[in-house]
Amino acid sequence: MISVLKINKWAGFTLAVIGFSAQAAQAPQHIDVKQYKKVEDVVVPLPNEVFGALNKLGPVNWKEYVRAEKGTNFSERPRTALLLGNVIADGFIAVQAQDAPAVKDIGQRVLSLAKGIGVGASITPHAKAITEAADKRKWESVRQELDRTQSSVQGAMNELQDQKLSQLVSLGGWLRGTQILTAVVTKHFTQEGAELLHQPDLLRYFGDRLTAMPEYSVPVVESIKRALVEVRPLINSGNKPISPEAVKKINEITTRLDGEIVTR
Amino acid sequence: MNPRRQVIFVLVIVPLILGAAATASVDDAQSFALQAAEPYVREGFQVREDYWGGDLAAGEKKAVRQQLFKGNEYWFWMGTEVRHARISVHIYDKEGKIIEQPDSWQKGPFAAAHVVPTSTDSYFIIVSIEESPEERTHWALVYGFR
Repeated sequence: MISVLKINKWAGFTLAVIGFSAQAAQAPQHIDVKQYKKVEDVVVPLPNEVFGALNKLGPVNWKEYVRAEKGTNFSERPRTALLLGNVIADGFIAVQAQDAPAVKDIGQRVLSLAKGIGVGASITPHAKAITEAADKRKWESVRQELDRTQSSVQGAMNELQDQKLSQLVSLGGWLRGTQILTAVVTKHFTQEGAELLHQPDLLRYFGDRLTAMPEYSVPVVESIKRALVEVRPLINSGNKPISPEAVKKINEITTRLDGEIVTR
Repeated sequence: MNPRRQVIFVLVIVPLILGAAATASVDDAQSFALQAAEPYVREGFQVREDYWGGDLAAGEKKAVRQQLFKGNEYWFWMGTEVRHARISVHIYDKEGKIIEQPDSWQKGPFAAAHVVPTSTDSYFIIVSIEESPEERTHWALVYGFR
């Protein structure tokens, strides 16, 4: 559910007055997309968007992918940012698995990491809400709080003029989501499942962002840069569908990176 | 209105109204976008917490590029707090072909576009201020999927 606090009375009143007598939108059928200035280069999806699409292709045993170990904390800010994104993605996996103890652990872990990076204050209420919702098995509320957690962490980083760290949070979540997507599709291969990996603009976006942050050139960031170059031809198969071998290879690459992100 | 009340109105109420208008922001526009989304939440759409926005002159357009996944169904809702503005949002694929569903709609300061992607790829969400009494008009875009 969206937050009613964010909807002011004036908006509600205006919509009520206008009513919902929808008009068909008249729009050009073809445009030159290159002519438009972009607000956002590419919007990075949350992991649960791809998990939602995956669920529609058949049953997934999400419990298999819930991470049990607590992991370590790091002193380097870029590593912590990557790990934060990774752990929030783990939260979405735990929601899919409806695993309340794992969700609660993840809530506390996110709080601890956020404090380590100086944005803990913005996360405390979300961590509390995650625990309460998990206790009540309100999975939609947990999902929403995880979304808010990521948004608040990134908002706090942006306020601190640290947009690059914020981008690393997105990258950490995307890598963990891709690791799980490829694990599921490798296990029960379908072309529809493999097609969910067709994200060339996101790969380019992350590659460009990493190149633009030489100050965060820690080994794991360098590994990710190289890995993105490795993955690009595997998902850009032209008119051919993405092969089972390519999915397996991407899973190996993202699993290797996951190991580098979560362990010291 | 008696003269004393007129003075109070000019000295107190008018500055309050003008002040409120001056402090209107993208957050207010987001509130309108979320209001447009509300009925769809009841139909099972998960609305993402993040939003995109800014301000545009009348006639101006901008693009938000977004990765969409085949299998999901998406709605994009746009809003502005400028009551007499007319805004629009439309969705195109990489080749510039419109791909939104016919139930997409626009109504004054609200607009919405519905898409069921036929392939997993990035798409272009084109936002526009069609008409507005303001020089610059705040807008915000939120999206949801199911």
